[in-house]
Amino acid sequence: MQQHTLRITAQDQPTVLERLLQVTRYRGFIVTGMTMFPSVDESVLDIELTVQSDKSIDHLHHQLNKLIDVSEISVNESDALKCRA
Amino acid sequence: MVSKKPQTGGAVLFNVLQQHGVEHVFGYPGGAIMPIYDALYDSDIKHFLCRHEQGASFSAIGYARASQKVGVCLATSGPGATNLITGLADALSDSIPVVAITGQVAMASMGSDAFQEIDIFGLSLACTKHSFQVRDVNELAGILHQAFAIALEGRQGPVLVDIPKDIQSALVDEPVDNVCIAKPTLVNPEDNFLLKNEPANVGTALALFNQAKKPVLYVGGGVGMADAVTELREFISVTGIPSVSTLKGLGAVEPTDKCYLGMLGMHGTKAANLAVQQCDLLIAVGARFDDRVTGKLAEFAPNAKIIHFDIDQAEINKRRKVDVSILGDLKVNLPALAIPLSIQEWYGECQHMRESFAWRYDHPGENIFAPALLKEISSTMAKNTVITTDVGQHQMWSAQHMSFDHPTNFLTSGGMGTMGFGLPAAIGAQISRPDDMVIAVTGDGSFMMNVQELSTIKRFQLPVKIVLIDNSKLGMVRQWQDLFFDGRLSETDLSDNPDFVMLANAFDIKSKVITKKEQVSAAINEMLTHDGAYLLQVKIDATDNVWPLVPPNTANDKMMEST
Repeated sequence: MQQHTLRITAQDQPTVLERLLQVTRYRGFIVTGMTMFPSVDESVLDIELTVQSDKSIDHLHHQLNKLIDVSEISVNESDALKCRA
Repeated sequence: MVSKKPQTGGAVLFNVLQQHGVEHVFGYPGGAIMPIYDALYDSDIKHFLCRHEQGASFSAIGYARASQKVGVCLATSGPGATNLITGLADALSDSIPVVAITGQVAMASMGSDAFQEIDIFGLSLACTKHSFQVRDVNELAGILHQAFAIALEGRQGPVLVDIPKDIQSALVDEPVDNVCIAKPTLVNPEDNFLLKNEPANVGTALALFNQAKKPVLYVGGGVGMADAVTELREFISVTGIPSVSTLKGLGAVEPTDKCYLGMLGMHGTKAANLAVQQCDLLIAVGARFDDRVTGKLAEFAPNAKIIHFDIDQAEINKRRKVDVSILGDLKVNLPALAIPLSIQEWYGECQHMRESFAWRYDHPGENIFAPALLKEISSTMAKNTVITTDVGQHQMWSAQHMSFDHPTNFLTSGGMGTMGFGLPAAIGAQISRPDDMVIAVTGDGSFMMNVQELSTIKRFQLPVKIVLIDNSKLGMVRQWQDLFFDGRLSETDLSDNPDFVMLANAFDIKSKVITKKEQVSAAINEMLTHDGAYLLQVKIDATDNVWPLVPPNTANDKMMEST
């Protein structure tokens, strides 16, 4: 199982976290860590989502990118590591 | 015009709908949407009362698919809203632009388990493209504009707008008018392929085109959704490429094209499946390598390089690794890559397969052969007739044996495979295209799933024709039980069906039952010439199967053709 970290900038809308988590679960990824920082003007959230799966992270990246409230998303490749599990 | 009267949220809703050119909506009133229905009373928008919210959602889908406009449905909170869910899931799966409006309990009651309160906003996450909950009446108009934009942009889909009851009756600071706003241009400059695609991709695609000796065009529902039927046909004309279609792509390719091989996949034609298995280049156009198309994925088109045209990047490499992807609007991208190909030998082979594996309609005995009946309807009906189907054997027979000259003329629940789709979808299609004939082909299982919509046909005197293929079975499940479950026919017997003729008559719908081949031609003629709704019940053998069939987890060239 590969672990990956996604850096996400999203509109601070109700349900944005639910949407991210719902897509992540449905597409076959397990959340192993999540941190959220509201921006200064509170309209935007910076989210760091750590996930693991045996599926390609590209699939999740593209599916999350389709969410209307997600304005930017990137996979931090340097964080990718092989899990022992 | 902007009224001088103070404007409520409900009035804003209908004015904004009119700004987007909406003339017809489908719905069902209830407690938490009463202020919206009160505003409807003063609106020019025509409301079609369905008899179940699921019917309203499918009618909105049928309306959208037949007319290429946005379909709109309305429901109250709680059970009204949950009854829309199946329709939203269907629209998401088939990428249909629908805007669903739900009433919600008043904001002060939200979160208190109030009467008819359900978190439809939460429930919508997995079955919509996006959803909104309005918290301030002054934001309502802006949210509705966004809902229409999201439903239509890129890959289309359903959007839900949940409006609490007090927002519906609250007054806005700035009234909005109901003047239709100009339609955006069809081709968005941002979708230009040069902006979205690396020039290297285009170069590689052109090189693959030139190298290919046995290319096949795999046409999906995206062609119709992109309004790119003309561009697709021009692409086929320029390249001379053999083509196959998905269920949802039917109608995009001219059915008389000499190298069009029909539907591929589980119940695809032998010619289509063999051509795809043999091809060395597969060009997917607005298609997504669905499991019903590919059969055993690892053995699908095993020798082919893949070029994938799509508007949704998430579909690229999702199930099949591609060699080149061309992202963006098909209307722009298809013409840009249309070049003549030198594939005369392959063209001849495909044409030969089309002719030698053509459908056969010889069928022993006096009983009616559904494929032959559907073919006869298809060749008799007027050119712009809309066919809707439900789900099951009759659906696959319709896809195989009827011909469509545009995707807007064949409405079927593809991705979700939703029984109960056909009748309400036909109602929506008939309302969007009152001058065209609409025929719902259904089965005795599916028909009963939204049979209450006969009442909508009666209420609005819609001339919808219904062809009910009746084998007193859940036929497709029965077929699988016979083939793959040792004939253990578990819960698929429907021999206690109601009297369908009497049922239709109860809704003032003329009806007839036929059981023998010799009755078919006259019955079709009577139905097609009848002025008004008509139900033709067609009894067939309970043991008739849909062939060919690619068994589960099997390559598409290993199809079963009979038992």
